Amino acid sequence: MIAKYIKPLLLTALISLSACSSDDDNSAESLSGENDLTIEFDNGFNGDDLLLGASTYTNSNGEVLTINRFNYLVSNFVLIDSEGNEYAYPKDDSYFVISEENEMTEVHLTNIPAGEYVSVRFGLGVDQEKYQQGAEGQNDAFLKTAEDNEMMWSWQAGYKFLNFEGSFTSATVTEATDFKIHMGSHGTALDNYREVEIAMPTAALVSSTLSPVVHLAVDANKILDGAHKILLSEAAVVMVDEVKSPQIAENATSMFRVDHVHNGENVDH
Amino acid sequence: MFIMVKMLIINWSKSSENRGLTLIFRFLFFRMKNQLKTILLALVICNAIACSPDNEEEYILINEPLQLEIPANFPEMVYDISKNPPTEQGFALGKKLFYDGKLSANGFISCGFCHEQRSAFTHHGHQFSHGIDDLEGVRNAPAIQNAAFMSQFAWDGATAHLDLFPIIPITNEVEMGETVSNVLAKLKADGAYQRLFANAFENGEVSNENFFKALSQFMVMLISSNSKYDKYVRKEDAITFTETETRGMEIFQQKCASCHKTDLFTDDAFRNNGLPIYPGINDIGRAEVSGSATDNYKFKVPSLRNVAMTAPYMHDGRFGSLQSVLDFYANGVRDSETLDSILKQNNRLGIDLSKKDKDALISFLNTLTDETYLNDKRFAEY
Repeated sequence: MIAKYIKPLLLTALISLSACSSDDDNSAESLSGENDLTIEFDNGFNGDDLLLGASTYTNSNGEVLTINRFNYLVSNFVLIDSEGNEYAYPKDDSYFVISEENEMTEVHLTNIPAGEYVSVRFGLGVDQEKYQQGAEGQNDAFLKTAEDNEMMWSWQAGYKFLNFEGSFTSATVTEATDFKIHMGSHGTALDNYREVEIAMPTAALVSSTLSPVVHLAVDANKILDGAHKILLSEAAVVMVDEVKSPQIAENATSMFRVDHVHNGENVDH
Repeated sequence: MFIMVKMLIINWSKSSENRGLTLIFRFLFFRMKNQLKTILLALVICNAIACSPDNEEEYILINEPLQLEIPANFPEMVYDISKNPPTEQGFALGKKLFYDGKLSANGFISCGFCHEQRSAFTHHGHQFSHGIDDLEGVRNAPAIQNAAFMSQFAWDGATAHLDLFPIIPITNEVEMGETVSNVLAKLKADGAYQRLFANAFENGEVSNENFFKALSQFMVMLISSNSKYDKYVRKEDAITFTETETRGMEIFQQKCASCHKTDLFTDDAFRNNGLPIYPGINDIGRAEVSGSATDNYKFKVPSLRNVAMTAPYMHDGRFGSLQSVLDFYANGVRDSETLDSILKQNNRLGIDLSKKDKDALISFLNTLTDETYLNDKRFAEY
């Protein structure tokens, strides 16, 4: 009972103490302790807001898309500071599902050591190392989340890295036709896990009092209309395709950009 | 001789119920086994939770490591048992899970439903194994012995890790039609399973990790290595081969062993053996996993252990007898872009086999039947 009253007092004292010290100098050296860092995945389509089952989007391949599902897996987060030091988030806890339809758009990293982070690296999908861990790599919460969000394949013991579905029309396909883009690794035959490193326009500051939010703008248009042009008129269902799946994986790595960083205490953005 | 160390940990339960106090006793038994100065340290944690108001204590079984002997004529084991060493309780749990219909959506289809011991863990009398709601798959349930020595699983290599294999039949719509998370939820709600998991694993949790580990422990122990052939090559029990069996073995080594390699009788590779496409089912095999047209119609080379017991044959169970299988290799192989080059030699398709060769081969293949394994009570459902 006593602890109940002491704890907030202590916390307030701590916060005010460290707040004083950080007033003097806001450089990386003065940042101490640890805190949370949140990464917001703000899904869009070529600059527009992504509205599932509502808006239509026209891409440069001349195809008009209605999008019903945009889910993907992100993993293996690494934060890089201004001096090039890397902090790798604990691997076992570093797998997340982003789902537009289920409003899961945040990755919440906890206990990040204080620092001035200038870029972030993460994977799209599940790496082979994780698969090779066998039973030990199977985190209950993640597996359930993946199953609940249509991110597991039933015919092979693996995850879909990207589940992008909807319907489209084009010059040759005039009736709205369903499309399904499911991308993942092809067993041991083809590894489609990719990593992406993106710089932040302003450093994300983490300390015992600072818990930043890194706001990513994610462009779903890049999946089909990136460096590789993937035509739905050619194939509306791409699940395991030796040529197109790796191209989709590459395209998808170009979806991410840090739009801005919110620095501060208990940032609620 | 026993040395017993007893530790008492008192854990204040955070539950708001009246039974606020939970006692956890942890016993560590260091057991010295046999007197040949070989000390087997069986570190065993036994959790006994007394939560009833009168502090009645319940003691749970001691867990012992299981001996796992690698047969002298086998290659190295692929499965890393240091990460999941089989124990008596882990194996027992794995076996219960293997035979439990809870793993399926309707509660009736267990692993053992399609993998019956008396047919060397295949689905006897079923060309296509049927699963939930009597839905039929397009493939024949393969034998599962010696899985710890394999690096690819399922006909198309849909996983390369034994631990993850159960995900495939559990989630397949025509097999068990369940989700992994749902199976876990059912096990978590089951008092008997809670105890079995507590007995089998140090952290005692009903978790995916422990679920997969228990199933693997059962499968890792399914070793078939005591056929007449094994005893013959290991020179045990003064076993001899008949003239026909010896001739069959020679032909086998010449004409079959390049794919049915080693004493596992498979090279774990994916090959197209030239089967005509099954009418109505265009099963492209390995290409379904790899997405590569070069893998079209390739399937994993199956082990031939206990092959006399595992009819029907081929990934789609199209052949009812070994005779038909050999007739196919002699006369029925069809050419295609991905036909294995081994079956396209000397200006002919398939394997040159005379009637006598086939008879001798069948005699030899019959020596691969392992009665010890087929009747091993440790693996039996009842």
